[in-house]
Amino acid sequence: MLAKWKLREIIVLSVLAVVFAVVYLLFLQLGNVLFGLFGLIGYDIIFGIWFIVSIIAAYIIRKPGAAFLSETVAAAVEVMLGNAVGPQLIISGMIQGLGAEAVFAATKWKNYSTWVLMAAGMGSSVFSFAWGFFVSGFAALSPGYVTAMFFVRVLSGALLAGLLGKYLSEGLAKTGALNSFPLGKEHKRNVTV
Amino acid sequence: MSLHEVNPSIKAFAIVISILILSLFFDPITPLVTILWSLTLTFLFGRVSFKKWLLLFAPFLFIALIYVWTTMLFPRLQEGDTVLWQWGFLTLTAEGFQRGVSLGLRVLSFATLSIMFTLTTKPTDFLLSLMQQCKLPPKLAYGIMAGYLFLPVIKEEFQTLQNAHRVRGVARAKTIPEKVQQLKRYVIPLLAGAIRKAERTALAMESKGFTGEKNRIFYREITVSRIDWLFFILMISAVILSAFISWKLGYLQFYNREL
Repeated sequence: MLAKWKLREIIVLSVLAVVFAVVYLLFLQLGNVLFGLFGLIGYDIIFGIWFIVSIIAAYIIRKPGAAFLSETVAAAVEVMLGNAVGPQLIISGMIQGLGAEAVFAATKWKNYSTWVLMAAGMGSSVFSFAWGFFVSGFAALSPGYVTAMFFVRVLSGALLAGLLGKYLSEGLAKTGALNSFPLGKEHKRNVTV
Repeated sequence: MSLHEVNPSIKAFAIVISILILSLFFDPITPLVTILWSLTLTFLFGRVSFKKWLLLFAPFLFIALIYVWTTMLFPRLQEGDTVLWQWGFLTLTAEGFQRGVSLGLRVLSFATLSIMFTLTTKPTDFLLSLMQQCKLPPKLAYGIMAGYLFLPVIKEEFQTLQNAHRVRGVARAKTIPEKVQQLKRYVIPLLAGAIRKAERTALAMESKGFTGEKNRIFYREITVSRIDWLFFILMISAVILSAFISWKLGYLQFYNREL
């Protein structure tokens, strides 16, 4: 998968993943507060934030595997940093990354419009929910509650991963730091024209 | 023998597979026995300070409690469940309560296994082991290591930014739109700096002859020995034994009518 990647792209992907791993760990605290207030569905409200690096990396680098790898690496770094985050999180990261990657794959990694980015966030939501259903035993909950959790998570994926990810990446493109990446080039074209 | 010496990749696999097996059962005894087992291992072979362990474990007690009450309040009702209490849309059943407790204990069993891993594994050793045993591409592994080493620098930059904002009289954000704006003021420059650093690092690595080729040699070699596999087998058998004990006691509950 990495054969067609330049070292520059791989290091940028890893650094993005490391930065967002820290963000993810911080959001775990916020998640716990919401969890305390609303029960299990509390996590789902902000679940989208945990998919954001997939969207950002894919939107910036635009290569097959960007969404999957960035999310997987972010999860691995969380395990390295996190004091109580075990290796099973890497599997969660892979599954979330695959959800977004599947959507980008459906467009043959050609379309990065707002709708596709939101759909990719939703893809991560769907995949991660299936995994959570098994590992966290949602089967013991009433179907109505589980359905509500699912829809909240999908919405969160579209907004907090898809839209927020797009917004942050474009803010980043404006600084000129992405000038050697597809998103930066696209941005430069639009500005000069 | 110490848990610190077990090969990190094999340790990680043993824990992931244990968690997958634990996810199959909906009874309180299986996770409970696993908790006892992993506690014994952590404190007998982990050289772990109890205070540090407790600090990490405490938040999970709270999470487990919330699992219990959510499952109790919103249980999947099944025919033949004994209703304990009913009020409006809330129905408390004995079975719902038991499943809630099992999910809570499941969370705690995952936590004890996770903490056993993180308190006995050095981050860089884990990465080196993933590269040497699990064929993680060196390009990616060294990229992660470079990013990992950037963290203190990024933290310093964050403090500089904070100070700069303060000097220029940027008020503390109070409302939610202000907070979002503030977040953007921090996140964009930090990310831009990180990306520029990453590009420079890549250039430096290539100019020093890093090709990312897979058949390379390592200064620090992480090995696999018979003890590592012994640990693996011991872990998996312990979880299976937990389920067996639960079955003998008549508690074991699989996915039966849940799907």
